Amino acid sequence: MSVRQKLEELKVSMRPRFKEWKFMFKRIRENPLALAGLVIIIFFAVLGALAPVLAPPPAGSINAFKIPKDLEINVLTPNPTPPTWKHIFGTTDQQYDLYYACIWGTLTAFRTGLTVVGISLIVGLLVGTIAAYYGGLLDEVLMRFTDIIIAFPGLILAMALVIAFPAKIPINLSMLFVVVAALLSFLLLMLRPSKRLLLAVQAVLILSLLSIFYYPLVWDLTLSRLDKVLISITLVGWPGYTRVIRGEVLRVKNEDYVEASRASGSTDFGIIMKHVWPNTVYPILIVATLDIGSIVLSAAALSFLGIGAEPDFADWGQIIQRSRAWLSRPEQLIPNLHTFLIPGIFITTFVMGWNLLGDALRDVLDPTLRRR
Amino acid sequence: MTSLTAYIIRRLILLVLVILGVTVLIFAITMMFPPEIRAYMYIRNAEQARPGVIEQVILIHGLNDPFYVQYGRWMSQVFQGNLGWSYTSTQTVVAAISGRWVFTFEIVMFAAPIIIFVGIYLGVQSAIHRNGLIDHICRLASIIGWSLPSFWLGLILISVFSGQLHWVTIGPLSSGYIDFIADGISSHTWTAYTGIHVFDGLLNLHPEITLDAIRHCILPVCVIVAIDVALLIRVMRSSMLEALNKAYIITAKAKGLSKNVVIYKHARRNALIPVATLSGMLVAGLLGGLVITETVFAFGGLGSWAARAALSTDIPAVLGYAILSAVIFVISNLIVDILYAYIDPRIRLE
Repeated sequence: MSVRQKLEELKVSMRPRFKEWKFMFKRIRENPLALAGLVIIIFFAVLGALAPVLAPPPAGSINAFKIPKDLEINVLTPNPTPPTWKHIFGTTDQQYDLYYACIWGTLTAFRTGLTVVGISLIVGLLVGTIAAYYGGLLDEVLMRFTDIIIAFPGLILAMALVIAFPAKIPINLSMLFVVVAALLSFLLLMLRPSKRLLLAVQAVLILSLLSIFYYPLVWDLTLSRLDKVLISITLVGWPGYTRVIRGEVLRVKNEDYVEASRASGSTDFGIIMKHVWPNTVYPILIVATLDIGSIVLSAAALSFLGIGAEPDFADWGQIIQRSRAWLSRPEQLIPNLHTFLIPGIFITTFVMGWNLLGDALRDVLDPTLRRR
Repeated sequence: MTSLTAYIIRRLILLVLVILGVTVLIFAITMMFPPEIRAYMYIRNAEQARPGVIEQVILIHGLNDPFYVQYGRWMSQVFQGNLGWSYTSTQTVVAAISGRWVFTFEIVMFAAPIIIFVGIYLGVQSAIHRNGLIDHICRLASIIGWSLPSFWLGLILISVFSGQLHWVTIGPLSSGYIDFIADGISSHTWTAYTGIHVFDGLLNLHPEITLDAIRHCILPVCVIVAIDVALLIRVMRSSMLEALNKAYIITAKAKGLSKNVVIYKHARRNALIPVATLSGMLVAGLLGGLVITETVFAFGGLGSWAARAALSTDIPAVLGYAILSAVIFVISNLIVDILYAYIDPRIRLE
């Protein structure tokens, strides 16, 4: 079969999916709220992408996320200054440039939301699919474990984790070994390999588990304060995804087309990739979109409680936390209001963009509501 | 009914298992800390918390023993009602929790009914007028509320109503009344019947204290309602839309029932089921402490106490708080499940 023929075949088989996407985009275009959300997100994405142009880091700075200080004004006053041509949003206390902080904060917000949701999704997809697809004792154990984490008060658990996490994590060879072996055995389990191969991999896994204390150090993983925040929020957040995905997989796995595929000899891995995941993607997409906003808010809340990124890191929550002191003094409030309002407006608009899009996607993608 | 009893028993067993799991997990996390810090988990009074005595506590409780031995000993302590000593609040964890939950309860008491009723009402209205003006306004308002950082909203309200207009001070009561109550307790003219100022004010025949307490609750309640009502509106709306599309609604309309009967008797009742779950979870979450809101408004409830404890690695306090929230969470789950059977007779609990 020539390449062209194959391409032709692929086109035919993908046609219904393209049609579905077209329909979806049409629905999004027709929905003003969804469009507004999309516009807001694109606006922030452009803002983030153009950050080096819009707010060029001062010459010689090593980390672009460190907010520059205006030392000239700092000699005159420690208080925030109102907007001027040089600092179009004004400066915060100690003369950190607010405009620079807000622009680069966009990248921090994207990084926070996308990293946490991305990792939680991957973990949730693996654990949730395995739990639902194989069921039985494994399902029970995994789900009780997620129950335990969900029963915790989320924000307090995240705080405790941020505090307890060491800044340096020593990674040794056997840890990498364990991770690789575990991933391999998951994959092999899905591919239905010969028993002997599986046993060999599991032997490697057990051996590396036993040897965990005896292997030499490979490198020290140094975590910034923001990294710790991201890891903690992910550790608290993944069980939620796992539950949603498990529910969706349970719904799909007993459908007739899955039965048919199994009867015609597909492997579990093939069924999951070809039938189960594509049919669970929309509900998961909605949850993930709606979650990005609340994750950015959680990270900001941690900043507010004083355990966010470094004090001079370009992060919206951190700036709000900096400006908090001016609010308690009534006579200082009005002249310093911009240091508090501007980053707050940035964060609210960003979160709102994701929430608008997610909320509209729910209407657009919900198969029970949409074709009426 | 027997099946319901069996179900409840089964769930109670599961509940105990989950709570045991929580304790194992958090105890395992605490093992990362040195014995000098963990010793506070066993301390019962201020006498034992002094520096020289802690070494004895470590010896007595064998804090260098293997994990499972220590866990067993710690659990037996917990069952005796000792959760250890919180050094950030210089009292036992049990005393700290029982002294603080009233402030959380005071806010939740006002916020929860408002959230539930407003959420259900607006959700139904948006569903009936789908894509109409009310629907769009509700959606936009709830999405904005949901997108606001709660501490930012709280700080704005404080700076406007407390800083500029001087309507209220932050905290659960005006400082004058706090002194008045403290004097009253020492001179036996004030009895803390419930610990909740709103009720105690009435019971002690000081309605002005009740009014003051309510006034101080207004701002935090506003913040919580603005942020949490959004979720309820959305769930109610989509659940109601689903119910309105069912065949029995068409039947009900076809046989000539009035619009109100169809909407409120047929559709809304069926749409309430997912909302019941959500409300249960929401109230449980609120009762477990409103970390940010309490911190912003200096309310000194469970949430802000736990936040301070977590920030200064006050392990016994965090542990006690985690156990408490796990218990609240699991019990509320159980209550919601049982409520289901009453709301919807078709659901069989097995």
